Amino acid sequence: MRILAIESSCDETAVSLLNITDGKLNIEKKVIASQASLHAQYGGVVPEVAARKHVEVIIPLLDKVAGKISVAEIDLIAVTEGPGLVTSLLVGIETAKTLAYIWQKPLIGVNHLSGHLYSPWLDNEHLDITRQDIFPAVSLIVSGGHTEILLLKDYGSYKILGRTRDDAAGEAFDKVAKLLDLGYPGGPEISKRAMNGDKKVLDFPRPMIDAKSYDFSFSGLKTAVRYHINEQPMLSEKDIDNICVSFQQAVVDVLTTKAERAVKEYGANSILLGGGVAANKELRKQLIITADRLNVEFHCPALEYTGDNATMIGLAGYIAYQTLSPVSRLKLEDNWRRLEPQPNLGL
Amino acid sequence: MEKKIKSRNEADTLNTAKKFVAEFTGGEVVALSGELGAGKTIFCKGLAQGLGYKKVITSPTFVLMKVYHPDHPVIKNFVHVDCYRVDSSDDLSGIGLGDYLKRNDTVVAIEWAEKVKDLLSQARKVYKVKIKSGKGDLERTIEIS
Repeated sequence: MRILAIESSCDETAVSLLNITDGKLNIEKKVIASQASLHAQYGGVVPEVAARKHVEVIIPLLDKVAGKISVAEIDLIAVTEGPGLVTSLLVGIETAKTLAYIWQKPLIGVNHLSGHLYSPWLDNEHLDITRQDIFPAVSLIVSGGHTEILLLKDYGSYKILGRTRDDAAGEAFDKVAKLLDLGYPGGPEISKRAMNGDKKVLDFPRPMIDAKSYDFSFSGLKTAVRYHINEQPMLSEKDIDNICVSFQQAVVDVLTTKAERAVKEYGANSILLGGGVAANKELRKQLIITADRLNVEFHCPALEYTGDNATMIGLAGYIAYQTLSPVSRLKLEDNWRRLEPQPNLGL
Repeated sequence: MEKKIKSRNEADTLNTAKKFVAEFTGGEVVALSGELGAGKTIFCKGLAQGLGYKKVITSPTFVLMKVYHPDHPVIKNFVHVDCYRVDSSDDLSGIGLGDYLKRNDTVVAIEWAEKVKDLLSQARKVYKVKIKSGKGDLERTIEIS
């Protein structure tokens, strides 16, 4: 099955072409236009600017990926339907709807988070979609807008164990970076500064680490960092390094502790990681150590698939398609009439 | 109406919001200001709870706006907006906030509202809520006007 996938939920416009045959995933083409540098000057994504940029680049990207192939070779169009910024989502969705209508192809709306959920499978020689022995798997999806821990029982079958009650982990990184004047996006800068810090100097709280629930809370941690900064007459470069390492360690500790508890409680065979914060080296390292100690597998996406991309949307669309009944599949044929953006879509 | 309320901790902030929203009849806009970590989102949680919304509400910073449907006889929508990443009110009109500002079955709470002052003039009833730090780490003064 050949899938054309489109992603435009936030500030990346991406188009990919995947071929999945007999459980073998072949990523034929993939392109991404990132707007990160465009938005950095504003300290965050600006919706109007983002939407205009999506409109500008989506057709050239499509042309690069699918311009030369014959329409008959495409079996399914997959597009992110949410969650995200409605103005950004609309560009991808309207484009996909138009193609589905003109080409008369089935169109499937994909939950962006399920894309991150399956991102560890992309370009991973140790993990393909025929494998069943990794289930049940505990999956952490950690990004600027989300922090969720799930139990993945099978392809297309999961249960949410917990989520953030206030700020997402990636959001806490961005806001702490802002408190320290480190620029946007904050995650990479904080982990860079953390490498020179000494984690023994400061101790920030680990919110809800011992709570029975699998929910997270990062708002209080951000506030604790603010209190600490306010108490200092001035911050040396070394102080900033130390704040970064201790803040990062607090986030990593909470995430790994909850993942470990879930593995034990549900007898999971693997830990999976996805989302923008999956690029954080310290988080990856400590999850590898945890998985090793628990004698379970650990899989995380290659760096290029931690951020938003269309390849993961294609794979998630394929997996969702496999679980549909024949009647539901038939309904995808004229889905171009119905598909609408879902900015607040949950998993 | 002008009020100054002392809050000793997060629970106080939450309860202040719950009490405050109890008199709402729909069409109100709550414009919140205060620095990072002041407790604006906690105040919004209190508003949602006070309107009868039972589930968890989370930070809208990333998606800018989240709409909840509380269990309330008149107020059907609670719109939680965060202008932390927004520079001008055009950005919020673009994602449809304008549709909610004039509705009688809706309460809108806007964090970092000082960034979008011109939008507020469209609303019928605007309450300004300023959360300022007190002496102790957890203490806050909540000014409602």
